[in-house]
Amino acid sequence: MFNINSLEQQDNQDKLWDKVINYFRKRSLWMLHYCTGCGAMELPPVMTSRWDMERFGIGPMATPRQADILLITGYSSVRTMKRIIRTYEQMPEPKWVLAFGSCTVNGGMYWDSYNVINNLGEYIPVDITIAGCMPRPEAILDSMLKLMDMIQAGEAKAFRKYKENYAYYKANQDRLFMERGPVLESAALRYVHEETEGGEA
Amino acid sequence: MNRITVETLLQDLASRGLNGEKISEQQIKVFASKDNFVNHLHYLQTIGFEHLANINGVDYIAENEFEVVYQVYSYEHKIHIVFKVRIPREKPVILTVVTLWEQAQFYEQEVHEFYGIYFEGNKDLSHLFLENWNDLPPLRKDFNTEEFSEKLFGSKRHGGGK
Repeated sequence: MFNINSLEQQDNQDKLWDKVINYFRKRSLWMLHYCTGCGAMELPPVMTSRWDMERFGIGPMATPRQADILLITGYSSVRTMKRIIRTYEQMPEPKWVLAFGSCTVNGGMYWDSYNVINNLGEYIPVDITIAGCMPRPEAILDSMLKLMDMIQAGEAKAFRKYKENYAYYKANQDRLFMERGPVLESAALRYVHEETEGGEA
Repeated sequence: MNRITVETLLQDLASRGLNGEKISEQQIKVFASKDNFVNHLHYLQTIGFEHLANINGVDYIAENEFEVVYQVYSYEHKIHIVFKVRIPREKPVILTVVTLWEQAQFYEQEVHEFYGIYFEGNKDLSHLFLENWNDLPPLRKDFNTEEFSEKLFGSKRHGGGK
């Protein structure tokens, strides 16, 4: 028999369990930091005794398969973007992304570079962006506390956005990686060398 | 071998038809033509300049020329030579020096990638850094990097603000 009351009960129970699970989840976060851009220097003070992120239960992790947080610092070039996406897709859910520095928001000081993407959020879903060039360790800790609050409240759901809007992210990724023609018309000015076989006569 | 000083080296090179200038007590710059520069580099290698530190490209768009700069150093004489060769912009072809220094392979690949200069005789001029690149080499002065970024990455001036 279909019993709406028992369903509601089940629902409430699930919510309660979610709260408990979220509580433990937020107190045990493993962070993978992808630091090929600048700003990796801000992380050692955060991890070690000065600011000591371990008191909040956050520790560094070596592999994407065991990590919960992906922290991406600074600019990311087209080449590193490929690796970032691969890393992100290897991580098990639930997973959260922290984008660190101005470059991940709008390109920062590399906004008009030929090889640096402008907005990281177009390629993978970002939970929190930390603005600044560089952000101070306090800002990193602040973003982590904010992330913990968001996890407890069930708001940190960017990884679901990735599944739901995969077509959007995939289209943006393909724009960078798929075979494409030249972007600008000036490509016609390229010099193409024709090998002369056999050398001089 | 006797230790060469900057002055004697410049005289020696002048007798071989190379123009040079003294920069400091341990540094000179030399201008060579693209037809016989490999011979000169080979001569420098035989008198003790065994270290090729780098190859750079320079785009002199106003003079319609590219410049390829070889940084050559001698541990024996403690002299650094900045060896410059000019080539026309329409036909940027220059001989490879991989036969003299093996490490030139990567330097030449890089210069080819970013300036479109073709090194004749180099067997592998594939890209090292750029991914999926079909445009004008990006460090040429006539490449509009802002327009490129705008079209591919959707960049905006001042981050989209005013």
